[in-house]
Amino acid sequence: MRARVQLLLLLFFAVGSAAVSARPVSYVGGWTFIEESNRQSTAALIHYTPSPSWSLGLRNEWVRDADYAITSLQPTYLLKRWFGQEYQANVYLQGGLGVASGTSGNPMSSTTAATAGVIADWETRRFFLGYNARYIDAGHFGDNAMQLVRMGWAPYEGDTQDLHTWLMLEIDHRPESADSVSVTPLLRFFRGPALLEVGFNIVDPTPLINFTYRF
Amino acid sequence: MNTITRSLIPLLFILLSTPAWSQHGQEHQHEHEHEHEHEESVSDSAAGVASAAPATGRLTITPEIEIALANGGTAVVADVLGVVCDFCAVAMNKIFGKQEEVAAVYVDLDTKALNLVFKPGASLDDDAIAALAVQAGYRIAAVHRSPVVLGS
Repeated sequence: MRARVQLLLLLFFAVGSAAVSARPVSYVGGWTFIEESNRQSTAALIHYTPSPSWSLGLRNEWVRDADYAITSLQPTYLLKRWFGQEYQANVYLQGGLGVASGTSGNPMSSTTAATAGVIADWETRRFFLGYNARYIDAGHFGDNAMQLVRMGWAPYEGDTQDLHTWLMLEIDHRPESADSVSVTPLLRFFRGPALLEVGFNIVDPTPLINFTYRF
Repeated sequence: MNTITRSLIPLLFILLSTPAWSQHGQEHQHEHEHEHEHEESVSDSAAGVASAAPATGRLTITPEIEIALANGGTAVVADVLGVVCDFCAVAMNKIFGKQEEVAAVYVDLDTKALNLVFKPGASLDDDAIAALAVQAGYRIAAVHRSPVVLGS
């Protein structure tokens, strides 16, 4: 328990995204809306970027099988960014602090919840590689950890305002799940400020639907 | 993992070994001596223009840029590092589009360049352009100005 508290205090930032988000820190003054739905949860997040190095969001996440939801503040900190003419790579720390409440008739009382995560990505116009690890502590609702890797390939290089299409493969590891490792092939469509991802988990049959809009 | 899952793994390797990957690798190698690579800590708040500047900047003409030039604006092309997707373009369009000096802005993913045309009599210096690019989350490698960017 003490180690758990120390981990949470150390990172404080909570509620790491369940997906390898596209640019979880935006431009200064930018708002971003993100919806994510995967085999474990459905979440909505809106965040604001006051600085090139961090963003602050409000996130609501419904952990479907466990019948609880977390509403939290979610800061994201850009720890490191590498630039090249052909690539960009980033490492983010993400966290959050909020309240977990029962859903679907779950009678358990509300409690403090926190999560912490790290996101890393490397991207060119043709290739994508991402990693995300996340830990959730939802008090008496339980705790869990996950990590995932995502690989992507774009069959063509779209120019500005073209429709960009990516073929991606996501492999996630959730030790508490019956299928601890699962695989989700997905398609990413990307145009201007909007990004849509549609996939299907072929191990734990569940759709994946992610949507991002940058204002 | 079931059979479908196992079969996807070799498929991924096949995809990654397509000619597109090989071609990309050759291009990357070819361009390596010209490539500017930057490693940035987010604590580096100072906006600067990278010293080694490839003289490749040519203005991308869009209808808005054409109108702004016809109205007497001056043009700037800035080579940008890390521009790999439309979110990059959106970020820079938003940041630069809000500047009162700017009449037209276009981020070209193919040339990895920020194209600006200023209002007549207005301008932004290189440091200001670099600082605004940092606000968008990117880094300027070089700034080219008229008449070079117009191919004159």
